[in-house]
Amino acid sequence: MFSEIRFTLNGEQKIYTGDPLRRLIDVLRDDYGLTGSKEGCGEGECGACSIIKDGKLVTSCIIPVAGVNGCELLTIEGIRDTEKGKCIIDAYAEGGAVQCGFCIPGMVMATYVLLNNNPDPSEEEIRVGISGNICRCTGYDLIVECIALAAKKGAALWQK
Amino acid sequence: MAEVKCFVPQTLQEALEIRKQYHAIPLAGGSDLMVAGSMGAGVTPKFAGDVVVITNLPELKGIRELDDGSVEIGACTTSAEIAASELVHPLVRDAASRMGAIALRNSATIGGNIGNASPKGDMPQPLILLDAEVVLRSADGERRMLVDEYIIATKKTALRDDELIVSVVIPKQSFTHIFYRKIGMRRANAISKLTLSAAATVKDGVVVDFRASSGAAGPKVARCRKAEEILIGKKISELNTCKEEFLDAWNGVISPHAMPEYRRNTTRRLLTHFIDALAAGHPEGRVE
Ligand SMILES: Cc1cc2nc3c(=O)[nH]c(=O)nc-3n(C[C@H](O)[C@H](O)[C@H](O)COP(=O)(O)OP(=O)(O)OC[C@H]3O[C@@H](n4cnc5c(N)ncnc54)[C@H](O)[C@@H]3O)c2cc1C
Ligand code: FES
Ligand code: FES
Repeated sequence: MFSEIRFTLNGEQKIYTGDPLRRLIDVLRDDYGLTGSKEGCGEGECGACSIIKDGKLVTSCIIPVAGVNGCELLTIEGIRDTEKGKCIIDAYAEGGAVQCGFCIPGMVMATYVLLNNNPDPSEEEIRVGISGNICRCTGYDLIVECIALAAKKGAALWQK
Repeated sequence: MAEVKCFVPQTLQEALEIRKQYHAIPLAGGSDLMVAGSMGAGVTPKFAGDVVVITNLPELKGIRELDDGSVEIGACTTSAEIAASELVHPLVRDAASRMGAIALRNSATIGGNIGNASPKGDMPQPLILLDAEVVLRSADGERRMLVDEYIIATKKTALRDDELIVSVVIPKQSFTHIFYRKIGMRRANAISKLTLSAAATVKDGVVVDFRASSGAAGPKVARCRKAEEILIGKKISELNTCKEEFLDAWNGVISPHAMPEYRRNTTRRLLTHFIDALAAGHPEGRVE
């Protein structure tokens, strides 16, 4: 009994018919060529593989593809060219939040969810919002500042 | 080894038929099973048998208040949903909100946390303090039991191979004072070194109810009714004198495995803190 797994991926309807127990990150990267989501730890600890499932941040390395049956998924590729996505990415670039860049797609996804739910977060709220995302380069301070910058510059976007 | 079959049912009824016929392992959020079976990047994780994926079954989601005031939480309700719900007892919300980090709390389910039966699992601890029950269903019927009875020992539960946990029911109850602590290595994504919940009701200067339970301190969550009884019925002015007797009775429940002295001392300090607050006439509410 091999069911079809149906989901929306960055706005496109997908029907997946392979092994339902494969990790979502592998399906995203290997089957759909969406290599923006990175694998750091493979154990749900680092957040590099973060994507958005039905509006909520999840780590795609600990979810089987069967677990997203009927869901709407957004990856970094699905938000990077949107107004909100550009707002975050421009703020990260402007404030110098990025060093090696490996953690950044996950950070951007966490930022996107944070600002959608809380358009004007305090520093502490920003730190909590990215607390599941590990960065081994930056020491976080510039990332936190850039998220505040994205909130400020994109105020009109996040308020709606 | 024969290839693992994976079932993705659309309804609870289908899932229960699959449990009955194949005894397939239930996978809810997958945050324990996928990590335990991990084979590295690009490879399907390993499972001990066939798998039935119940993540998105609508019948297993959501939180509702029942007629008798108890609160029923569907097995596949996530920690984030529990942490955000006004219906749920604050001690259970505390535990849910301190699990993992944001993304983990959007995957981890209450059924999976109980089903995993790890002594380091955060949800059973307050649930056992509150005398919560699991509702177990099979294609042939339903039964209920206390979470404390369902979890037998580390990784060992009373689940039959044709059953699923369908929900958790927390009876209605209120306390004048509550206390919760989770101690981990860092604030986010930290597995508990120790957790403690305590709750009490003080009426006209008398302790009419007192409960405590600790997690991550032995093969399963510890609650010691014998120790609790030492404090129940006492005036708050007597708490100072019977505190030692209580703490000594509690000592017995911390298992002598890794770092028992750390867990004993820390539990003692936390319980002392709570009892001292009661003795000092702490205003009703949460003891920080
Ligand atoms: C990064 C990370 C951080 C974590 N942090 C914490 C933490 O702080 N606190 C904590 O307690 N845990 C933590 N965990 C462990 C895990 O997330 C929790 O135990 C979670 O609640 C498991 O739920 P799940 O739905 O993902 O379980 P799954 O992996 O789907 O299942 C776990 C077990 O329960 C069984 N099961 C699931 N649903 C049912 C059901 N309805 N009926 C019967 N059996 C069922 C499964 O067969 C399996 O044996 C963490 C895990 C990770 C990866
Ligand atoms: S790769 Fe998924 S959380 Fe680290
Ligand atoms: S920029 Fe290198 S890991 Fe964050």
